[in-house]
Amino acid sequence: MDAGFISCHDCGILVNVGNIAAETILSCPRCNANLHFRKTHSISRTWALIITSAILFLPANLLPIMRVDFLGTQEYSTIMDGIIYFFHGQEYGIGLIIFIASILVPLFKIIGMLIILLSIHFKWKHWLRHKSAMFRFIEFVGRWSMLDIFVIALMSTLVDFGTLTSTQAAPAATYFTAVVVCTMFAALTFDPRLLWDA
Amino acid sequence: MRSLSALIACPGCDLLLKKINPAGSIKQFCPRCNRLLYQKKSHSISKVLAISISGLIAYIPAISLPLLTLNAMGMHQNGSVFDAFVSFYHQNYIFVAVLLFLTSILFPLLKLSLLFSVALQLKLRLYSNNLPFLFRLSHYLDEWGMPDVYLIAVLVSIIKISSVASIQYDVGFFCFIFLVVMTRASSSALDSEIFWQEIQQIKPPMQLHENSSD
Ligand SMILES: [Zn+2]
Ligand SMILES: [Zn+2]
Repeated sequence: MDAGFISCHDCGILVNVGNIAAETILSCPRCNANLHFRKTHSISRTWALIITSAILFLPANLLPIMRVDFLGTQEYSTIMDGIIYFFHGQEYGIGLIIFIASILVPLFKIIGMLIILLSIHFKWKHWLRHKSAMFRFIEFVGRWSMLDIFVIALMSTLVDFGTLTSTQAAPAATYFTAVVVCTMFAALTFDPRLLWDA
Repeated sequence: MRSLSALIACPGCDLLLKKINPAGSIKQFCPRCNRLLYQKKSHSISKVLAISISGLIAYIPAISLPLLTLNAMGMHQNGSVFDAFVSFYHQNYIFVAVLLFLTSILFPLLKLSLLFSVALQLKLRLYSNNLPFLFRLSHYLDEWGMPDVYLIAVLVSIIKISSVASIQYDVGFFCFIFLVVMTRASSSALDSEIFWQEIQQIKPPMQLHENSSD
């Protein structure tokens, strides 16, 4: 960026912009996207989204996410209850998949992004390669957290035998979906090049 | 404003690098932050065109036909991807229902249609003014379409249900697997750099009113 070049966020082409005023809005000659040296308001937007996800993470895990009706009795279960249920049923593989996708990945995303944001804030210049790799992992893994929501959607459609037994979503589903969306947007608004600017 | 075709900047750390000769190495990584910069793929446009057509053909049955039928206590119940969205909607979880609709129904369709129309226009060498926009849009949608995550969810549900009911696999299930495979294949056959170069090639010369300082 010091060289008077901007690389386009959308198509990756390098554009020579020379010494233009910082306020000028330029568009990419190849893909027409607006050109920026860095994503706009990257740090503050990412902070806001990560704090929001951290707050929403609590109700997402503490409130029930699913309700099973069986012969007139209603049973609510949280994400963790569902995982424990699998472990009791000797279904360790599935239990582990849900645990990783629903609890470990969102937690890792929130903590990982906090480490990255703090290290930019305090200008820590160590482990930059590792932090870059961690960010790429956070980017890649984000969407897999939707797994549990899809499972609940499928269960509530398939296991619906009227008054006998049925499965329904419970309030945490909304909070959990919001956590996934916020962390995905956090990874999108964050500009990894800021790590190297310090 | 002029583009420099011999140089690229790493999207991960902004290190300025010389572009490797296209005939040379297949993969290029950033020496500073280790990000994959470029991966060369052969016949990208034709492959993407063929794959997106196959995916689009499977799309409607994959979304609307039942995936599974449950048999328990003498009763049957089946459901499709679309039914799963409707069920969340009826339970009044509107936010979740909207996300479900976008990630499992709308975006997978949009992604394949966009790739299809861009690849077709490049193949026929027809330039339209929204071509760069359509291709950019397909990048934005990439991670928000989640048929692959959905497929794993279907498998998890099967294991969950199999202990209490017998499961019959329906046509939709196989169409959905095909759709997921085609969606993944379209991503791995896509060489964005080739697409952008082709788009630039068939783009008519810049009009005078556009800002050019060079
Ligand atoms: Zn561009
Ligand atoms: Zn780099």
